[in-house]
Amino acid sequence: MSQELILSRDAYLLTVEVRLFWLVALVYAFSALVLLFHILTRRVGIGRAAQGMMWAGMILHLGWIALRIFEGGRAPFQTLYESLSWFACTAVLTYLVVSRKWRDIYLPATFVAALSSGACFYALLSRSPAVPPLSPPLQSYWFEWHVVLAFFSYAVFVVSSSIEVTYLIVKPFLNRGADEVFGLTRSNIREFRGTAFNLVLFGFPLLTFAIFSGAAWANEAWGRYWSWDPKETWSLITWSVFTMYLHAMSIPKWRGNVASALNILGFVCMMMTFLGVNWLAKLLGIPSLHLYAV
Amino acid sequence: MAGSNRFLSLLYRKLSSLRTSVYVLGVLCIFYVIGTIFPQGGDINEYEKAGGRFLEAVRLFNLLDVFNTPWFLVPAFVLFLNVSVCTYDRFFRIRARRGAAPAAYSPDCTVHLALTRAEAEEEVSRILTRKMRFKVLRTGTDWTVMEKGLSYRWLTWLYHAGIAISFVGFFISGLFVREGIITLRPGEEVEIVSTMPENRGWLVPSDHSPPDFKLVLDEFITEYTESPRLDYPKDKRSRLAIALGWKDLSYRLDEDSFFPKDWFSRLRVVRNGSTLYEKKIEVNDPLRFEGYTFYQLAYEQRLKLRVGERLVEAEAGKKVDIPSIGTLRFGPLRTGTLFRLDGTVDKITPFVTVKRLSGGKTEELGRLVLNGHIRVGKSRISLVDFEESSVLSYRYDPGVPILWVAGCIVFAVMTLRCFGRWYELAYRVEERDGTTSLLVSIRSKGLGADPTRVIRRLSHHLPGVRS
Repeated sequence: MSQELILSRDAYLLTVEVRLFWLVALVYAFSALVLLFHILTRRVGIGRAAQGMMWAGMILHLGWIALRIFEGGRAPFQTLYESLSWFACTAVLTYLVVSRKWRDIYLPATFVAALSSGACFYALLSRSPAVPPLSPPLQSYWFEWHVVLAFFSYAVFVVSSSIEVTYLIVKPFLNRGADEVFGLTRSNIREFRGTAFNLVLFGFPLLTFAIFSGAAWANEAWGRYWSWDPKETWSLITWSVFTMYLHAMSIPKWRGNVASALNILGFVCMMMTFLGVNWLAKLLGIPSLHLYAV
Repeated sequence: MAGSNRFLSLLYRKLSSLRTSVYVLGVLCIFYVIGTIFPQGGDINEYEKAGGRFLEAVRLFNLLDVFNTPWFLVPAFVLFLNVSVCTYDRFFRIRARRGAAPAAYSPDCTVHLALTRAEAEEEVSRILTRKMRFKVLRTGTDWTVMEKGLSYRWLTWLYHAGIAISFVGFFISGLFVREGIITLRPGEEVEIVSTMPENRGWLVPSDHSPPDFKLVLDEFITEYTESPRLDYPKDKRSRLAIALGWKDLSYRLDEDSFFPKDWFSRLRVVRNGSTLYEKKIEVNDPLRFEGYTFYQLAYEQRLKLRVGERLVEAEAGKKVDIPSIGTLRFGPLRTGTLFRLDGTVDKITPFVTVKRLSGGKTEELGRLVLNGHIRVGKSRISLVDFEESSVLSYRYDPGVPILWVAGCIVFAVMTLRCFGRWYELAYRVEERDGTTSLLVSIRSKGLGADPTRVIRRLSHHLPGVRS
C-alpha cells in the first residue's frame, strides 16, 4: 500500500473514531442529565432508563477502545487523550458491574456519569487524538500492567467515593426518620456503605501493584526506583490516604464520618495523581518524568 | 525505675496502636504535598531568581530538599518503628489466640434436623471436614470451632512484615547507593567514577574505591519510524465541526517526520585490556556487572561543519552563533535506520535540519545532508562529519534486592488477604423437646468469602433437614 493510501486510511479511521468518542461523551452526559431529573422527580423508572443509557454508552465505548487498539496496534493509554477515555470507560464499567448488587438505587450513578462525560469532553476539547508511536521508555512489559491496574484501581475508587457521597447525603434524612430516600432504607444502608469499603479493599492491592510496578519499571528504564517525581509522590499520598481509611475502618470510633472523609479525600488525591499533578507541575515549573503522558 | 517502665510501656502501647499509624501517615502526607509544591533538588538562588515565594520558610526548613530533612526523616522513622512494633506485637497476639479458650458465639442460623444428637454431630463434622474442607480449631466444649482458608490474621501480619522489610531496603539504598552519569564516545575506554550523594552522615565512610573495570562503546545505533503529523484544529468550534461531520481529519508527512523508535549502545566491559562482558543495551534493558547497572539515558550528537573555509563544531538540537551568518539552530541529527509507514526499511543518509533565528523570527533553511551544503546569504555551510556519544547513568544500589523481595511479599500476600476467603465457623448441636437443632455462627474475611453460600452448602449436604 502506498504512503498516501495509508495516510488517508488512517485519517478516515481517526475521523470515525473521534465521532464515535463524541457520541460516547454525549450518551454519558445525557445519562447524567436524566439522572439529575431522577433526583428531582424521584421516579425509579427514570433512573432505570439512565442506567440503561450508561450501558449503551459503555458498549459504544468498548467499541471505541477496540477501534483505537486496531489503529495504534497497542493498548490505548499512552497519551492523556487515551487515558482520559480509559478512565471514563473503566469507571462506568465498574459502576455498572457493582450496581447489579442493589436495586433501584441510582444516586451514585449521577456522580459516575457526570465524571465520565467530563473526562471524555476534556479529552475531546483539549487534547489531540493523534496516535503517536510508542517512545522508547514506554516500550516495556511493565507498561500495560502498570497502567491497566492503576486505572482499574482509579475506577474502583471513583465508584467507592460515589457510594460514600450517597451515604453521606442520605444518612441525615434516614436519621431524621425518613423511611426511604433514593432507594436506601435504614435496613439496607449499612450493607450499601459496606460496598464502598469492599471496593477500597479491592482497589488497594491494585494501587499497591501499580506503585510497585512503576518503581520496578523506573528502576529498569532510568536507574532509579523512586525519584520523588510529583506523580510518584501523589500516588504515594493516595496510597497513604487509603491506608489511613482502611485503618480507620478498624477503629470503632472512626468507622463513621472520619472514615467517610478519608475515603472521599482518597478520591480527591487520586484525581490529583491522575490530572492535578500535571497541572501543578506545569504551574510551578517542576520537571516531571511523567509529563510525556500529557 | 517504675517511672521508666511505665514510660516504656506507654511508648510500646502508642507504637503498636493503629491510631499512631493513621496520625503518622497523615503527617507524612503533609510533607509529600510540600515536596510536590517546591521543586526538589533545586538551588535556592535559582529558586529566588525564578520568582519563588516563601523564601524565608524555604531557607529555614530546607524545603527544596524536604525529603532529606529531619522534619521528614523523623516521622518516617516513627512510621518504621510503628510498623515494626505492630508486627512484633501482633505475632505474639496471633499465636496466643490459637490456643485461647473459645469465645461466646451467637448463632447466625439454626437448622432443625430429623436426626439424633449423636448422629447430627457426626454428620456435621464429616460434611464440614471432608466435603467442605474445614479444619478443626477447637473442640470439646459447647461449640466446635472450624476454620477454612488462609488465616487473614497471619496474612495481614505477613504483609506488614513485608512493609517493615521494605523500610530496611530504603535505608540501605539511602545509605550505600552510588550513582553517576558518564558519556561514552566510540572506541574510548572510560573509568567509572563512583559518586555517593551527600548527607550520608557518620554511618557511611565517604572514601570508597571505584570499580576497577572500564567501559567501551563499540557502536551507537539509532532507529526511526515515520510519524505523520495530524492536522487537528486548536479551537474548540472546529473540533465540534469534526464531530458534526462538517470537517474531516488529515495526516501529512513533514520534512522531518522521524520519530526515534529506539536507540542502542553496544558496550564492552574491559579490565586490564581484556574483554569481560559485552551487551547491546537500550532503554528498559540495562547492562548489569559486578553490582553496577548501566542504563541508556540519552545521546549526544556533535556536528562538524565547514562554514566558508572555517571548521565549526556545533551540538545537534542546540543553538550556535556563527559570525557573518547569525544564530542557527540545528535539529537532531538523523542517522541510522528508518522504518517507513509502508513497511519498507531504509538506511538514512545522515542529515540535520537548519533554522536561522533572528529578531524573534525563525527562518527554515532546509536539510543539511552529510557531505552536502546549504547556502545562507553569501555563505556556504556544509556538514563534513559528525560524532555520536552515548550518555549512560549508572547505579550501585544494594537496597534493590531487598526491596524486590519485600515488594513481592507485600503484593502477593495483600492480594491473598483482600481477594481470598477465610471462614471461622462455630457450631453446636442441641436436643430439646425431642428436636435436634444445629446452631451455626460464621465469620468471614476477604472479598471472595460468601458465608451464606457456606450455610447453603452445609444445609444441602445434611440429611434430614426440616424446613
